[in-house]
Amino acid sequence: MIPRIAVGAALCAGVLLVSNGCATIGGSEKAVLRAKDTVFPALVHIRPVKEIYTSGKRQEVLAIGSGFIISPDGYVVTNEHVAGESKFVQCVLSDKEEVEAEVVGVDTFTDVAVLKLEVDHRLPFVEFGNSDDVEAGNTVIAMGSPHGLARSVSLGIVSVTDRYLEDIGPMTSPFNSWIQTDAAINPGNSGGPLIDLHGRVIGVNARVLRGAENVGFAIPSNIVKDVVDDIIKHGRVQRSWIGADLQEMLARTDDPARHGVIVAGLDPISPAAKAGIRPGDVITAVNGKPLHARFEEDLPAVRRAIAALPIGQEATFTLLRGEEEQQVTLVTEERGALRGDEVAFDEWGFTASELTPELVREAQLPSRMGVFVSGQQVGGIAANANLGGGDIILRVDDTPIQNLAQFKEVYDGLVASKKELVLLFVKRGALTRYVMIKQTPGAPAPAEGAEAVNEGEPAHVE
Amino acid sequence: MWSKLGIALALVSAQTAFAAGISGDVLRAAYERIDPAVCLVEFSLEITNAATGQQSKQNRNALGLVVTEDGLVMTHGHMAVENSTPFNIKVTLGKGDDEQRYDAELLPKPDDVNIAFLQIKDDKPLKLPYVRFSSGDSLQLGDSVGMFGLGPDTLDHATMIQERLIGAVLDKPRRTYALDDAVRFAFVGGPVVDSRGRAVGVVGFDLSTAEGGEVYTRSGNPLVYQASLFQKYIDKPPVEKEDDGAGDAWLGVFTQPLTPDFARYWNLDRDGGLIVSTVVPGSPAEAAGLQSGDIIITFDGTPIRAKLDRDVMGFTKLVRDTGAGKPVEVRVLRDGQPITVTVDLGLRPPSEQDAAEYEDTQLGITIRELTTDLRIRLNLSEDVQGVIVRRIESGSVAQVGKMIPGAIIMALNDTPIASIEDYKNAVAKLTEQRPSEITVFARVGPATGFFRLQPRWPAP
Repeated sequence: MIPRIAVGAALCAGVLLVSNGCATIGGSEKAVLRAKDTVFPALVHIRPVKEIYTSGKRQEVLAIGSGFIISPDGYVVTNEHVAGESKFVQCVLSDKEEVEAEVVGVDTFTDVAVLKLEVDHRLPFVEFGNSDDVEAGNTVIAMGSPHGLARSVSLGIVSVTDRYLEDIGPMTSPFNSWIQTDAAINPGNSGGPLIDLHGRVIGVNARVLRGAENVGFAIPSNIVKDVVDDIIKHGRVQRSWIGADLQEMLARTDDPARHGVIVAGLDPISPAAKAGIRPGDVITAVNGKPLHARFEEDLPAVRRAIAALPIGQEATFTLLRGEEEQQVTLVTEERGALRGDEVAFDEWGFTASELTPELVREAQLPSRMGVFVSGQQVGGIAANANLGGGDIILRVDDTPIQNLAQFKEVYDGLVASKKELVLLFVKRGALTRYVMIKQTPGAPAPAEGAEAVNEGEPAHVE
Repeated sequence: MWSKLGIALALVSAQTAFAAGISGDVLRAAYERIDPAVCLVEFSLEITNAATGQQSKQNRNALGLVVTEDGLVMTHGHMAVENSTPFNIKVTLGKGDDEQRYDAELLPKPDDVNIAFLQIKDDKPLKLPYVRFSSGDSLQLGDSVGMFGLGPDTLDHATMIQERLIGAVLDKPRRTYALDDAVRFAFVGGPVVDSRGRAVGVVGFDLSTAEGGEVYTRSGNPLVYQASLFQKYIDKPPVEKEDDGAGDAWLGVFTQPLTPDFARYWNLDRDGGLIVSTVVPGSPAEAAGLQSGDIIITFDGTPIRAKLDRDVMGFTKLVRDTGAGKPVEVRVLRDGQPITVTVDLGLRPPSEQDAAEYEDTQLGITIRELTTDLRIRLNLSEDVQGVIVRRIESGSVAQVGKMIPGAIIMALNDTPIASIEDYKNAVAKLTEQRPSEITVFARVGPATGFFRLQPRWPAP
């Protein structure tokens, strides 16, 4: 697994002496110094206070990461996993000036965030390079705050230019290929720049391979640039979605003459499924533009091409089903959030989030109606009723639940009415069950700081 | 005040223990009778990792107790747990020059008590020393009991005595005697004597069903299994159930007890019942039109008054014992109104561990049928048809092709696979055709995808 590299609140105490077999690149020390000096003034040490939902309640957690200034008026680029879910972000500039920053927008899918420093003077900034020109073997410099140690510079080379990291679970970055480098990258380097010897940013450091030596990964600058432009212009990145999982051609054939991309699976509630696209179909083009992924490394570009289709408009896919070519027209949808909005319901002592398409698919729900219970407080009303993390609330009393906002309305009404018994109908995995919430007057407050361990009562099979 | 009470309590319990202790004479006399029947059970165990399907072998030993002259041996239920197969079972009786070693065979494990039985195999009729039990129902809270177990191998597995108190007596879900303190593992299954030296039971441990134990508790606390729980198996040792077609019945619902809160919420003037929470797709319950939210109030004429979680188990047993293939009247409340539904109870479908398996040495995978319980555990809808990959051989075609255990094979080269039979037929065909590549369509978690295998066909 490849963990993200933001650091938690506690600075790692142990400092290891590591002789970083520093390459003496023939007479290039000057070049390294020059590149470092170009970027260093724009380097930012970032300390966001993240609002996370854990153990059934909202908590504030201090994180540490890195970033860099990209404009004289103070736009800063960092990782979403550093600055996401935070409202207050403290930044320390390279001259040690402390400045507060506002989160302009984030993109979970690429792990990019944009901040705006609240300053009234011009700031030093850096420019993006062209990550398509990068070659394995190029000298690169990583800058940032490894383990919270601000203003750290490390040197290495590009190891691979187009590493593919499987897009699964919370690591999902389906649109990213990655620049792999041996420049030392550690937790805390997240969001910091990977620069070339011209002092241009060619990547944003974001991942390390745990347990490995000097295997770090940066998001290529060309991907970052597009995302940053969208965030500054629109506050977010809009992508279109058809609901098809894609696989490289090599999964079925190693014939280089076969072009296209394989449909591996479908979200059952999606434009692609509705249009009759099937697993095993090979998509060869969209709106006449060829799509081709021979190797898995080619998949992120294909996914970006589909995401770039106009949202809510017709798109025509050319498919090969067996040897037969077909044209399928569908209407794209906007891709939903990777993480659903989350709300803490303190009276009952639990947190719930909006259902994402991924959750709906995992739970095999017939529709996207319901809310997902993300955690519960020990000793709370919800936990006492065995409502637990992973449950999906489908109905409250006789009211079918549609989404988080409507559930909150229903919930607020029930809390205000002090109705003694509330019946929930919930689903977990293949099983549905009834949960009786007892809003007993004067119920004891949930235990502070206790960790929720109860995952709900197992159902009994007759 | 608290400290005074504490002291008083301490005195009381100390006196009780003192008063109830068993005299050395009694224990010595019991030892004389019991020691010859205590034996060492040695066996090998083939264990299958439930997640990966990887198999490993281990040697184990346990305490055994001869309970009939002709060599029926009782031991604890750990020998017969899911995903493990004991073999090479040896029973050693007597010490030193008198030592006798026998082969033994494991009998089917009773499903109502966590005890296993072995039958010693010998050419000539046996006349072994054995232990007779008194009923054990006379035990009381606070009584001292003596327990017999095996010492460590450094002490030649000598039979040893420990003394404990009956720390608690529970009446539900069945009469249960809990010991007051932990016991060493080599005492589990060992005989327990009362203050008069009579063998009244054995040391027991409840385990969850998944571990092959009893159904309702997982206390982790040693118990005394009173002899009345297992005497029936000594009188009539368990035998392999004959498959007469009338196996365990099933209804195909998940239920919750109708607690007083649920009854109050629905304004039901009822004391207990079972709320149908999930109806299993394809089950007899679904065919009969039972719905989630129905409240079962009678089953085949038996009133259902479940109020606690553990009461649900009684219902499971009731359904099971009713027998498959029989139409049964089930009375339920639907929206508060009583209605009667007739259900044709089906045969309980095979569970995951009884699922048919097939090892394909050509591709290097072992597959299993998708059973109903697995479908529920993996949340697979009825339209997912296939076989699940149980094991992948190291270095096999499947491993090179990046297949993983747990993947559900749904098609081979566009031939749909819904059963082991389908799989065998498809592979047999492929073996004739000898293609250089095989495309596997499979499901991993909620996602589907393709694996490209490059088979290494044997030279024709």
